[in-house]
Amino acid sequence: MKRRFWLLSLLLIIALAGTAFAEVKTFTVFTGEPLPDYPGSTIVGDIIEAETGVKLIWEPLVGDLETKVGLMIASGDYPDLVVAAHFTSLLKDAGALLPLNDLIEEHAPNLKRLYANHWEMLTQEDGNVYWLPIQAIPYGPDTSRYPSLGFFINKRVLKEAGWPTIKTLDEYFQLIEDYMAKHPTIDGEPTIGYLTLFDGWRSFATTNVPQHLMGYPNEGEFVPVMQGNRYVVTEYHTSPTAKQYYKKLNDMYNKGVVDKETFIMNYDQYIEKLSSGRVLGTFNQFWQIQEAQNYLLRDNPESIFVPLPIVIDPLVEERQRDIPYVQPTQGMGISIKCKDPVGAIKFLDYLIKEDTQRLLQWGIQGVHYEVDENGLYYRTPEQLELFRDPDWVQNVFGRPYFFNAFPSLRGLDENGNMFFPDTQPHLIYSDSTDSEKEVMDAYGVKSFSDLFNEPIFKKYFPLWTITMPAGSPAHIEETRMKDVLHRYVPELVMSSPDQFERIWENYVRDIKPLMVEQMKVYQEGIDWRMENW
Amino acid sequence: MNTSVGTVKRGTFWHRVKQQKVLILMTIPFLAHVIIFRYVPIWGWLMAFQNYWPGKSIFQQTWVGFENFRLLFNDPVFYQVLRNTLAMSIIKLVFGTVSSIILALMLTEVRRIRFKKVVQTISYLPHFISWVVAANLVRDALSTDGGIVNEVLMKLRIIKEPIMFLGIPALFWWIIGASHVWKEVGWGAIIYLAAIAGIDPTLYESAMIDGAGRLKQIWYITLPSIRPTISVLLIMNLGWVLSSGFEQQYLLQNGRVIDYARVFTIYELDYGIKMMRYSFATAVGIFRSVVSIILVFSANQLAKRWGQERLV
Repeated sequence: MKRRFWLLSLLLIIALAGTAFAEVKTFTVFTGEPLPDYPGSTIVGDIIEAETGVKLIWEPLVGDLETKVGLMIASGDYPDLVVAAHFTSLLKDAGALLPLNDLIEEHAPNLKRLYANHWEMLTQEDGNVYWLPIQAIPYGPDTSRYPSLGFFINKRVLKEAGWPTIKTLDEYFQLIEDYMAKHPTIDGEPTIGYLTLFDGWRSFATTNVPQHLMGYPNEGEFVPVMQGNRYVVTEYHTSPTAKQYYKKLNDMYNKGVVDKETFIMNYDQYIEKLSSGRVLGTFNQFWQIQEAQNYLLRDNPESIFVPLPIVIDPLVEERQRDIPYVQPTQGMGISIKCKDPVGAIKFLDYLIKEDTQRLLQWGIQGVHYEVDENGLYYRTPEQLELFRDPDWVQNVFGRPYFFNAFPSLRGLDENGNMFFPDTQPHLIYSDSTDSEKEVMDAYGVKSFSDLFNEPIFKKYFPLWTITMPAGSPAHIEETRMKDVLHRYVPELVMSSPDQFERIWENYVRDIKPLMVEQMKVYQEGIDWRMENW
Repeated sequence: MNTSVGTVKRGTFWHRVKQQKVLILMTIPFLAHVIIFRYVPIWGWLMAFQNYWPGKSIFQQTWVGFENFRLLFNDPVFYQVLRNTLAMSIIKLVFGTVSSIILALMLTEVRRIRFKKVVQTISYLPHFISWVVAANLVRDALSTDGGIVNEVLMKLRIIKEPIMFLGIPALFWWIIGASHVWKEVGWGAIIYLAAIAGIDPTLYESAMIDGAGRLKQIWYITLPSIRPTISVLLIMNLGWVLSSGFEQQYLLQNGRVIDYARVFTIYELDYGIKMMRYSFATAVGIFRSVVSIILVFSANQLAKRWGQERLV
């Protein structure tokens, strides 16, 4: 009798638990980034779960994204929602993604409305849309506090030199060299003059530089140059600018300004060194150093990095900033392994609507932001302080888990505010830290972007979102070309100066033949975009 | 007559089966394992002759004959990869084997049991660390920014400036060899220790009576006695010469040394799987397997000719 009672109550518990779980839908999601495990409960996460009844299970990226995606395709084992960054088209080619057109038409009015501007770009040759990129711009573009890339320099250097205005690579390194000669150590540790990142796929932080020195924004491995009335794809890896740039790095390496370890350190070591505050200069795209900058802003505000528009020659016209654009070649897709595509698209539709985006960016009104009499949002100093702490934003607020790789919105919102608090025009300056303000004041600007010239609108922009067809000769050529870069660039920089000419000649000889097929594909892509977008 | 012989043979066969029933039953799981995991996947070799695309059935694939092999043998990188793989394998094989044998010999000569156990444990501990961790240890040890190797060399005044060991292409193979020896020496010694323990002690006694010292005993008794073990292990390891690891090179490489670091497994990944050229990757795999089989059998034949212990 007693035993039967136990059995019954056990069954009851199981049944109850079963119904409780049935209400929560779970989706597995791979976002292509190495996010730490979800803390279990966060401010935005709990609201999203309560409103949608959806629980996400994150599959973190361990190791190399390319490898992970390759193996995912080989095994056919996909998560429900999948982001493969610049390898997204590989997933589509492998038939891993569901076409979203009908799903969105029937179940996702918000996605349809907010992605309408970008629909043509997202439609593939077969007429379907397979993925939704991050940061759609439904109402209008924004400006930001930081430009997307630049030669960054430690604030200490500028301050000590009396806030000079510098334009060329030579001046930039001269400044660093002078500072280094005066201050061989910072906080007791050896000063690092210049760091350049060369870890795996991130090594574009080193090899992309010549195009920027020529004044271009980030186009990728080639730059389209206007000739007559047509954009002609042109290579820059063997240009005189590239040669001057590597020669300069070579000089600086041999003088001990460029860190000895720079070519063998990985990304983690790079961020660690930058965060230490003893690095004087580095070139990069801002998002690659943002983590370090956030730590510096909090813990070492005198050593923050200031982006500078540096070109090879004072005569070069600098246009390094890019116009806000949507990356049409990557985004989140729903995989063929997803058992409930309708539920998944409804979840994404919930995430994209203005209120959710506002929640993710601004937080809860009255708690995380306030509204002034003109209807403009702002944050009190205490609220600002909270959001400056990257640990808090990630582990307590929870934004990265629902924002980073998910469909999202940027720019103006429907009532004249900005989706991103740090781009709120009247707040870019006023919400900056004191340390940032000091630099802006010294240069008479209201944002670091203002140190740069206005960008030029180009319809195709940017070139790098054109991808090589998987396994094609152009694709193989691309891999080989990157191999050559990987091999020669460290050699060019680290060799003794008298070897430089010889290595440069070999480099040019080896890399030249590895561009032909790629340039054809890029040219076709550019022509197509100019005609169809 | 013939039939009667046949029945007799058959009779003895079934008789034997009956006799060894238990043994045969015990081998079945292993046989199944080998068939399922070693033979069934060979079907995948068909991919090498297709332009394989995932998600399509075998009838929808395009067949390309030997195109993938032609691409492989025409690729200059292939010969570089072949050189690196062979070089690193041979370095690892030679130094790995020699160091393990020497360690085993030294350990057997140690009389203090506790010391011997401590040394043995310490020496095979690194074997249990994954290369992901071990590679970081090696990176740290060789770093120019306070790495222990540079520090020690500088304290000893052998060098003035720290050397960037991992950035010197010519050193890469040797770093791979040295870190392999560090990680595997103790583990490799275990099997030789076992072989040495199996030597009849009376051999040593008689050698001692004949006036052989320790070194002579090692040379004339120990080494010849473990020669069969050494040759069998060498033959078996020859089968792995074209594999030569993956994680070790992958995790220790950097752009500067890529010409010396890329081995077959990395090549298959970079130029195969990452670019969705599964067929090409398979072709590389087939090449490796075929060469490995040839190597093992020829080594086996050589051993046979020299009157050594053989595998097959």
